[in-house]
Parts: sequence; structure tokens; C-alpha cells
Amino acid sequence: MRLMAVAAHWAACVSFAALTLAASTAHAGEPEARSEPRIVSADGSLTETVYALGAEDALVGVDTTSNYPKAVNELPKVGYLRALPFEGVLALKPDVLLTTDEAEPAKTLERLAKAGVEVVQLPVARSPADTLARIREVGRVVGKEARAKAMAASIQKRVAAVETAQSGTPARVLFLMAAGDHGVMIAGQGTAGQALLESVGARNAMADVRGYKPANREALLASQPDAIVVVESRPGQFRIDQWPQLAALDAWKQGRHYVGDSMLLLGFGPRLPQAMEAVANLLTEVEQVASNGH
Amino acid sequence: MVTDASGRLARGPALLMIMAAALAVSLVSVTSGAYPLSTGDILGVLVGSLEDEVATMVLMDVRLPRLVLGFLVGAVLAVSGALLQGLFRNPLADPGLIGVSAGASLAAIAVIVLGGTWLGGWVDLAGAWALPIAAFIGGSGTVFLAWRIARRAGQTSVATLLLAGIAINAIAGAGTGLLTFYSSDEELRSLTFWTMGSLGHAAWDDVAMAAPWLLLALCAAPFLARPLDAFLLGEQVVGHLGYNTDWTKRAAILIAGLGVGAAVAVSGLIGFVGLVVPHLVRHTLGAGHRVVIPASALAGGTLLVGADCLARVVVAPAELPIGLMMALIGGPFFLLLLMRTRVV
Repeated sequence: MRLMAVAAHWAACVSFAALTLAASTAHAGEPEARSEPRIVSADGSLTETVYALGAEDALVGVDTTSNYPKAVNELPKVGYLRALPFEGVLALKPDVLLTTDEAEPAKTLERLAKAGVEVVQLPVARSPADTLARIREVGRVVGKEARAKAMAASIQKRVAAVETAQSGTPARVLFLMAAGDHGVMIAGQGTAGQALLESVGARNAMADVRGYKPANREALLASQPDAIVVVESRPGQFRIDQWPQLAALDAWKQGRHYVGDSMLLLGFGPRLPQAMEAVANLLTEVEQVASNGH
Repeated sequence: MVTDASGRLARGPALLMIMAAALAVSLVSVTSGAYPLSTGDILGVLVGSLEDEVATMVLMDVRLPRLVLGFLVGAVLAVSGALLQGLFRNPLADPGLIGVSAGASLAAIAVIVLGGTWLGGWVDLAGAWALPIAAFIGGSGTVFLAWRIARRAGQTSVATLLLAGIAINAIAGAGTGLLTFYSSDEELRSLTFWTMGSLGHAAWDDVAMAAPWLLLALCAAPFLARPLDAFLLGEQVVGHLGYNTDWTKRAAILIAGLGVGAAVAVSGLIGFVGLVVPHLVRHTLGAGHRVVIPASALAGGTLLVGADCLARVVVAPAELPIGLMMALIGGPFFLLLLMRTRVV
């Protein structure tokens, strides 16, 4: 009996070793010819750009960070862009995987390229210039160069308008991100939140924080920002009644706050001017208060 | 051969049944996935008559390594669980108890979070292998540490090992928490996915990396069956029956540490297999380790491959983390088992 059990055990070990060998010596065949371009977009902001360029018909799948515009939710979702499944992406038979430098795992991307998928990894956008470059790049990928150029030009105009409106000392803005149902994170250095503030010439009221960190209620009170921006991933996620310390700040009491969608404010996509204008409006109010006060 | 008086399944047929199940689940694993491959395609690729590069790649470079790695990892996790449950004479023991998971997690998050700073040299040196190798060293190293602490005057105290494991788990957990605090949003997401385990990225080089350790653990474990049976009667009995008590402890810890360390390194954290599978096997086949160890290996591999099939199909084209799937299947199953036992 003992012998049989041990034998079965060893047989399993050995057969798997043999299977490993057999499979590693397998050969590869001929590539297949393709006609229409099919795109899987694994990044919310890139997906948004594809839609803005009117190339959504080329999309055959998106990742879980893609949720704008609403129609995108009808497409198959291949999972999270940092854990892309090889077979899942390949099953959609894409010609192009459009994604950012954040995409992982590297091995899956390599294998997709080997399987004949053109893997386009664009740098993560953290400034208006990045956004413009990225729109042109997406335009090239989806074959809408002219439209992308026109869109970039109009965005540049609106961005420039916001930039020229800046004057005086930079306002100190508290940038928060609603996390889950109860928590709030402070956006510090190296975050898209800070990048948005910089793009409109504002300063981060929490400059000592790096990355996103859980908010300390006392530190919120002590920060005394000129204005407050809160991003949430779904409407109504941020509840001011749970944050009396925020409500007690002058900036909140006097209405210099803006609560908006995270994809809009942090995506650095085609809606960037809208995001910049929203924050810039707060700054204008700050200046008015400052000029009234002195 | 003594027949089992408690009405348990006869061992020979039961082992054959598990082997049949292993084979069946392997077939399902090879034929199911997000990418459409018919049985004809698969046979075509295997025989060499189908000249489709992508189909070949999906089958040969994705599904097969995934199957092999899944089976080996599942088998090692289950066998390690069986060894440790035998060693501690406690059905609640699992590889996590002596710090494997906590140590591997700490090492993994260190690579993820500190890879850009002072661990950068290591990451440059080891490339894509930085994380798996670190997890292996972290997992096995922690076990070794717990064992060194529990060792006094040439004897290993099982009770001290357990307590040392708990303390080390707490310390490693604190280290993980601290690094989590300093991690960026992206690093945090990477870590979260790592701790839920995945076989989705398994390639042949992963198999080649981990298989020597995994196979070593699987092949060495059956030699501990008799001494572990003696352990069930009490630690003194082991010596009286002519086995070397301390050698048995050391071998069991070493096998579990290296095996699970290698498993965690390539597949992330996968819970439940090590705890549940030996239980199931003891319930159906009795507590003798000569059967429990090989049967756990087969059943563990089968269960993990089965869970992996579900993980890649239920939300296709996306994939669920395998650790999550395992807990989803294993949890209720285990509860059912508990309830049935109480009635009997």
C-alpha cells in the first residue's frame, strides 16, 4: 500500500517533468493575415481620447479604469491595466493594445507583441503638453491624425487662456481624493492632483506629503488652504457631513471648493481644459477675496 | 494491510479516483480559457498539423505552463500543510503559521515599493526576477529564522516554533504595513494583486525557476510519512520507534519552507489549499501520512488547477485572482465539511 502511494506520488512528479519538456520543444506556426484595425484600450484617459476622436468603433475591449463616456461600459473589460491577462486580451483578437507605461505585467506585454499584437505604450500624462502629445499619438494609432491635430489645437487655446489668467501669488489649494466610503486621501507630490494644481499655477497646501496619504483631520484644520478640490470616483462618494474639519475651513465655508470626478480631474485627457477651468475658477474667487480683504 | 474500521474509502480506489480527477481537470484546464480554441485546434497544435502561431502560443506558452505550475504549486501547498499539521499535531496549522506568507509578502512589497530607491541595484541586477527571488528568500528565510529561534541545545521545540512564527508574522506584518503606508497608489494596487495570487502570468521560465524546489519538496515529503505518523502518538514515541525526532522536524520545516517559498514566489499568496486539502484527505482516507501526503499532493494540485479554470472563465476576458477563487470555493466547502462532521 505504501509503495503504491509513493509510486503514484512519484509518477505524478515525473509525468509533469516530462510534460514540461515535451511542451518546451513545441514549434510555432505561420502568422494570420488581418483586415480591420481592432483596438483594446487599457487606460481610462486613452479610452476617453479614442472616443473624443470618434474612433470608438475600433475599440473591441477596454480595461477596468475605462469608465467614461458611459457607452464604454458596454465593451468587454479585460481587467485592470496593471494585471492584464494575456489570453483575455488575445481573445478579443486586437491588432493594437493601446496603453500607458503603467501597464503590467511586462511579460504579458512581451508575449502579446510576440503573438502579433502591436503594443503601444504611451507615457503617463502629467502636464498639458503631455496631454496634447498624447492626443496626437492616439490620433496616429486610430488613423485620425487630422482630427487629433484640430482637437489638440483647440485644447491648447483653452489651456493658454487659463494660463494667461494666472496672476499674483499662487494660491494654496488642498487637493483631496475620496477613498472608499469613509476615508479621504491627501494628494501630495508626484500625484496627478499636484500636476493639475501646477498646470493652473496653484500651490499644493500639503507640499510635504508624497503620493496619496490618508488625511489627518488635525492636519486638514491646520493647513488653512485658500481653496479645496475633492475628487471622487463616483458622484456622491464624498460626504462633507463626515468631515466637519473640512467644513470648518474658511475655504469651504466661503464656497471656494470644487468636488469633481476623478477621471475628469486626474485623467489629463481630452477634458483637461474643463478640469483646469474648474480649478482656475476657484483661484479667481481666491483673488477676489484677497483684493477685498486688503 | 489493515482495513479501515471507520468506514472510510478504500485507499487504492480513492487514490485512483483522485488521479482520474487530476487528469480530468487538466484536460479542462487545457481546453478552457478566454481565447477560443476548439478541441480540434488543440489536437492540431499538439500533433503539429495546425500552423497557427497564435493558437500554438496560447496552448504551449500560456495554458500548459499554467497547468503545470498550478498543479505543482497546489501540490506543494497541500503537502506542506499536511507536513506542518502532522508536525504541530494541530489541524489548524498551515504554511502561513511559520511565517512563509508574511516573510514573502514583506520581501515582495519591499521590491515593489523600494525598487526605485535603495533596492534599485537589486532590481536592476535581477530584472523581472527581482520579485520572485526576493519572495522566495523572504519566505524561506523567515521559516529558517523561526526554526533557529525554536532551536535550543540541539532540540527544536514545536511550541516555541509556533509562538516564534506568530511573533515573526506580526513583525513582518508591521513591516508590510509600514511599506504600504509609504507606497504610492500604483504600488499599492500592484501589491494588492500580488497578495491575491495569480497563475495568469505563468510562463515556462517561471516553471523552470520554481520546479526544482517544488519537485524536491514533493519527492522528499513521502520519506517523512512514517516519522510523522509516530508524531501523532506524541513526541517521545517518535524516538522510541527508532526515528530521529529532531531530524524529522528539521526536514519538515525545510521542505515546507523551500517548497512554499518557491510556490509563493511564482504565484503570489494562495491561501486555503494548505489548510483545507490535508483535512479533506484525512476525512476521506484516514490520518496515516503514507496516504495523506501523496493524496494531498494530487488533491491540492487538482483543486488549484480547477480553481484556476474557474478564475479565468467566470469574468472572461478578465481574470479573477486565484487566491480569491480559492477562498471562494474552499471556504464554503470547508464549512460544509465541518457541519457534516458535527452531525456524525
